[in-house]
Amino acid sequence: MLSLPLLKQSIKSNAVMWGSMTGVMTLLCIQFSSLDMTRSLLFTIFYGMMTTILPGIYVLVTANKLLASQVDRGSMAYVLSTPIKRSTVTFTQAFYLVNSLVLMFAIQTGAHLIVNNISPISFATLGLNMLKGDLTSKMIIQVNLSALMVCIALAAVCFMFSGVFSSSKYAVGLSGAFTGVSILANMLAMFGSLGVEGLDKFKYLTICTFYDYQSVLFSDSDWMVKMIFPIAIAVIAFGIGEIVFSKKDLPL
Amino acid sequence: MNDIIKVSNLTHDYGHGRGVFDVSFTVKKGETLGFLGPNGAGKSTTMRHLMGFSSPQSGNVSINGLDCRKSTGRIMEKVGYLPGEVALPDGLNGREFIKMMQGMHKTKNDERTAYLLKKFRLDTDVPVRKMSIGEKRKLAVVTAFMSDPDILLLDEPTSGLDPLMQEVFIDFIKEEKQRGKTILLSSHIFSEVEALCDRIAIIKDGRLVSTVDAQEVRHGLHNIMTVEFKDKDDLLQFCNSGLELSGRDDKHLRCSVKVYDEDINAFISAVKCLKIKGFSEHSVTLEEYFMHFYKKDRATGGVCYA
Repeated sequence: MLSLPLLKQSIKSNAVMWGSMTGVMTLLCIQFSSLDMTRSLLFTIFYGMMTTILPGIYVLVTANKLLASQVDRGSMAYVLSTPIKRSTVTFTQAFYLVNSLVLMFAIQTGAHLIVNNISPISFATLGLNMLKGDLTSKMIIQVNLSALMVCIALAAVCFMFSGVFSSSKYAVGLSGAFTGVSILANMLAMFGSLGVEGLDKFKYLTICTFYDYQSVLFSDSDWMVKMIFPIAIAVIAFGIGEIVFSKKDLPL
Repeated sequence: MNDIIKVSNLTHDYGHGRGVFDVSFTVKKGETLGFLGPNGAGKSTTMRHLMGFSSPQSGNVSINGLDCRKSTGRIMEKVGYLPGEVALPDGLNGREFIKMMQGMHKTKNDERTAYLLKKFRLDTDVPVRKMSIGEKRKLAVVTAFMSDPDILLLDEPTSGLDPLMQEVFIDFIKEEKQRGKTILLSSHIFSEVEALCDRIAIIKDGRLVSTVDAQEVRHGLHNIMTVEFKDKDDLLQFCNSGLELSGRDDKHLRCSVKVYDEDINAFISAVKCLKIKGFSEHSVTLEEYFMHFYKKDRATGGVCYA
């Protein structure tokens, strides 16, 4: 099911993009969680936007490189001239995509846990006066888990377009439109929740709605229920990508 | 089962007259079939079906009795493929690419790989994206042959190689032939097809127009005899002798006839009693034979004077 040599190649050829996105995300996280000036914005800006924008850019570029661009350029011919099945190719590439995101969030979460243990942040600093005490490690892990699931769903949709289309321009175009609209609508919806009237309706336009850090902070179980949707979207989208890629005619 | 590669009634219409239509041929064990045709004739399309990249709209394509689309993985264990395009995966250098391909083929034959690298004089420490087209092609050649497959599908293998390397490559394929490999070689270069192939299939506009035995081609497919006479009566008598005319020039009292090897005696008896001023023989090469099919269509009905 999994081809190690192909996985290695995927890791290698996407290392720069993955490394820089992980680096930027981790550094921003450390900055927002440790500097007094930015601490109060940790959730509105960092967890509100950065945890979808940065992985969003990463999956948009990477999903295309994993399938569509290789078909478009013709290098997929070399991979498929070996005894490796197309289904193994899609499985390996999807495996890479999901796990690179998991690792990206793991590193960022780890950094945040360390910072938060050294100097814990209180709910009052975050502007949540109705809550008492400090942000806990458990909450940090739960918030990131919630964000990760939505990013995996984004990745799956980009991967689906990458598997369906044999031309980068369509794969990137549609993935870009989808990711862009999702992230933008999420930002607009956030302004809505901050009090701008009417903008809160944008939450119905984006799968980022299923990422709910508020629910984690208020210790209810909404966020866990909402995780079902991105998981379902991911399973369906990866499935479609895999089936179409395995069945279609490749212009190689 | 002697037929290793079998294409029967393969049809795939891409519209605008592009594609392949009702193409059938077989390649027997140990045989080398040349697949000759101009650009866009359908050579690569046929290869694409053999590689299982595309499904036929109708017809069947099989290798070793296995359907090329359904059993691609199993077929590829025995197949070495040299793509027509040299787009290699990025982010690797030569050695890493070789290692990746070895891993995916699940074979590791270092001795043979070293032999191939030496033969094609390839430096594997260069990143793939910095390689010239020729170097990339050589790298593709090495990876296609390093697992020592029994069946070789080569799509325009020498394009991008310098003349010296083309020679090395042709020698190498001759070696592989000696070792009993079954080879399908697509090309538009006559010399390499003539030098390597046992049989030659000519494809044009997606249709197979002719399959010839390479032995015949090397011998000349047929000869064109041009005879110049001293007087017109002899010319007329010669023209009516029942030989196949391919040209006549009354002003210079010249006449050309198409003569196959088995007709040579008939030709000699036809000219024996005539007064001849001059005489020339011209063997039709594969190139002319090919051009004959190729041009026939361009000028309506204008068969070229070959």
